[in-house]
Amino acid sequence: MGVYILKRLILAIPTLIVASIIIFLLVHIAPGDPVRVMLGPIQDQVLVERLQQKLGLDLPLHEQYLTWLGNLLRGDLGISISVQRGAPVAELIAERYMVTLELALLAMTVALLIAIPTGILSALRQNKLTDHISRVVALIGISIPNFFVGILLILFFGVVLLKTWGAGGFVPIQEGLGANLQRMILPAIALGTSYSAIVMRMMRSSMLDVMSKDYVRTARAMGVKRWSVIRQDIVRNALIPVVTVIGNSIGYLLGGSVVTESVFRLPGIGNLVINAVYRRDFPVIQAVVLIIVLLRILVNLVVDLMYAKLDPRIQYTSSE
Amino acid sequence: MREELLRIENLVTRFYTEYGVVQAVDGTNLYLKQGETLGIVGESGSGKTVTAMSIMGMIENPGKIENGRILLKGDNLLYKSEKEMREIRGGLIAMVFQDSLSSLNPTLTVGEQIGRVLRFHTTLTPHVIHKRVVELLEKVGIPEPTKRYGGYPHEMSGGMRQRVLIAMAISCNPSLLILDEPTTALDVTIEAQIFELIEQLKKHFNMGIILITHDLSVVANTCDRVAIMYSGKLIEQGSVSEVFKRQLHPYTRGLIRSIPRIDGPVDENLYSIPGEVPDLINLPGGCNFAPRCAYKKDLCEKESPTLAEFYKDHTAACLRVKEIEYAE
Amino acid sequence: MKLTRHRGVLEEFWKNFRKNKLAVAGGLIVLLFICLALFAPILSTANPVEQFKSPSGERHPLPPISRSDDGHLFLLGSDRYGRDIFSRALFGTRSMLKLAVGAVGISFIIGVALGAVAGYNRSSWIDELIMRFVDILLSFPALVLAIALVGALGLGETVIFGLRFSNMFKIMLVIAITYSPRFARVMRSVVLQEMSEDYVAAAKVIGASGTRIVVKEVFINTIPPIMVQASLMMAETVLISASLSFLGLGLQPPQASLGVMLNEARDYLFQGSWWYAVVPGVFISLAILGFNFLGDGLRDSVDPRQARRVGR
Repeated sequence: MGVYILKRLILAIPTLIVASIIIFLLVHIAPGDPVRVMLGPIQDQVLVERLQQKLGLDLPLHEQYLTWLGNLLRGDLGISISVQRGAPVAELIAERYMVTLELALLAMTVALLIAIPTGILSALRQNKLTDHISRVVALIGISIPNFFVGILLILFFGVVLLKTWGAGGFVPIQEGLGANLQRMILPAIALGTSYSAIVMRMMRSSMLDVMSKDYVRTARAMGVKRWSVIRQDIVRNALIPVVTVIGNSIGYLLGGSVVTESVFRLPGIGNLVINAVYRRDFPVIQAVVLIIVLLRILVNLVVDLMYAKLDPRIQYTSSE
Repeated sequence: MREELLRIENLVTRFYTEYGVVQAVDGTNLYLKQGETLGIVGESGSGKTVTAMSIMGMIENPGKIENGRILLKGDNLLYKSEKEMREIRGGLIAMVFQDSLSSLNPTLTVGEQIGRVLRFHTTLTPHVIHKRVVELLEKVGIPEPTKRYGGYPHEMSGGMRQRVLIAMAISCNPSLLILDEPTTALDVTIEAQIFELIEQLKKHFNMGIILITHDLSVVANTCDRVAIMYSGKLIEQGSVSEVFKRQLHPYTRGLIRSIPRIDGPVDENLYSIPGEVPDLINLPGGCNFAPRCAYKKDLCEKESPTLAEFYKDHTAACLRVKEIEYAE
Repeated sequence: MKLTRHRGVLEEFWKNFRKNKLAVAGGLIVLLFICLALFAPILSTANPVEQFKSPSGERHPLPPISRSDDGHLFLLGSDRYGRDIFSRALFGTRSMLKLAVGAVGISFIIGVALGAVAGYNRSSWIDELIMRFVDILLSFPALVLAIALVGALGLGETVIFGLRFSNMFKIMLVIAITYSPRFARVMRSVVLQEMSEDYVAAAKVIGASGTRIVVKEVFINTIPPIMVQASLMMAETVLISASLSFLGLGLQPPQASLGVMLNEARDYLFQGSWWYAVVPGVFISLAILGFNFLGDGLRDSVDPRQARRVGR
């Protein structure tokens, strides 16, 4: 098992490297001189040259990349240019990542709590009213952009119900769980809606797949109680592919949190990266994108491992 | 005298699909005595599996059992509630399906799957159940049963999985064991072993066995009596020795004739019954076999033959039995 | 006979499509939006950038069915600058669909080409290389990649290698790059599936003329799944371009953009100007919904067995 993990980790490295190259090159596909881009219309030539030297832009491309990579591995994510001039990017991220993490986890929890039971129920009552309704609702859920859901929630809770929800802002958990949740629950719902719909559909589809398998028939023929068949034969086997979907959708959650943080004015990483884009703060953009990709790849790896653990048919020493 | 175990009278099972109504089983009459093996033979679509599923009470939407009686030791199963049937399934009656890797739950160990059956039908403690399962594995001829208890289905060969399914089926000492094409997916040597196992178990438990197959040679080797089905109707029933010696129905005759003989002429074409199985939704009137029958007359296409006894315990559903016999 | 299957495949497909209520509903919605977009100039009641004065005593944004100072009827209300929301929504739909079609078109060309090449040369180094690259791009979440690309290229007009690209084209390109990998993946798997069919092997045995038939048959059989993917991609593209606009990274004002309208509306929510947000939001959602219904329905038409699972 350990060998398997190691093997997968090693295989993930080229992916990471190429991804980092792509991220690195982002700055350089920008039209025009990166420095001018970063400094804006400042004409001071001396300043330009100093910045060029400092950023190492006068070096050949591959050397720049290696320097950058080396810094990364040492934990140096660069210095912010415009979002907070001079501040180490790593610091900026450290201040904010908890917000995004909490948002993503909360959204995932809420989403799964709704999606999985609904998917199971929908499959068990296939083609009955419950099924049709949930399928249409799921399609609608996927179709409404999460920022619109967020705005609708603000409209409803903030304006119609006249609650102070949706006013935005963030209260850390340390200062009060209630206050924190009050501000986080609406964003979590907004973010989780699409995600919930995707998982629900996957769950339903997987359930239907399993329900037509022979071993369900065998269990019934042996007089196993219906509830037991559902639990041990159907759901147990149906969850396996769903776990993969859940893991792979982390990317969606991370992307969606960018928008959701904007709507609800949460001080997370998403907000950070948008500010950075407005102000052409490349080090920040690069660092954030890199971290997100890294997270994605790691989660994929974990999901793969979990899949191997859940399904006894997968051999740990399987060859690729 | 052996006691009668199962009697099916006038069973009619239909499927209401979007393409039409499928007459899967149309008025079948069968019986089985304790300790006896009955073979049900027919091509796919003949209704043999649906008959078995009807006995088990596992006919689901869009299928419906419309008519008839299924008497197990005199008790009509069709009047039983789902709860009662669940207790009977795996308990009094057990069914073994054709193995494919997907006949067993891939995420449960073999031991758990067999133990489950015991758990639902008995009040034994988990410890005792564990012991019983290992004993069962041994009894069905699985080597290293203690090790295999914790193993998974995909780790086993087809033959072993079939044994596991049999172990599950006999775990609660059923009175009736139904086997649906148990060895079709296995090679002949394994097939022989499986049938030997079944024979042992039958003697040991004094079970009645229904063996569903399309393979007449298997019937010849293992069954006491045989029932032949064609497109939903039972067309001949009798003891194996009788039927193999003397076939009353043209279809049965054709079936026997199509068995390749090792002592037959080398350059002779293999015989096969001409024509195709009819569409179960649009059945022609009269005898279902008429379109393919070499002996058909006009009457055959109009009138539907019923099962009649021509010799002791040897019945057939054909309007021209006597005439055909006389002619041959 | 498989060789004439293509006629059957497309006919079969249309027949199933008509039966599928979801697909038809989706198709109608999409058609509606295409009409709205095409006829936006005719259907609009006003110039989308014209700012009307509000009647004295009132301030923009005005609710639906209210009038401006000089009598113009705001069908769906006005925005904060006094512009007619209905007209802006129509023109916003127009640019949204233009963007989506362009983006999907470009990514289709790139993706399908790559996927076909990869699939045809399965297991060769070309296949490995392409698919590796595709997988790496796929490890970037779509929105994140799009934001990063926009970040790199900058807002507004772009000049690359001396060529001037409009903002819209730039967004199109960004989205196209983001979604090409998905198309490539789908195309490759479809090609692989078709190539493993018996009729391909048979045709290869026949020889050179067989190859031509094979290419044609394979191509025709890939149409339905590709159509499914195209429709679903349209849905995602609209979603992502709306997200970008909402974040201020897409189409720039004063160009009418539904996402931008939604962003502007945020400041006016608490004073009760719900229409400012609801109108563009509904337009966006309905469009995405239409494409999703259509795509889903198409998918069921391609393989109706999956739609109706009758338990045994």
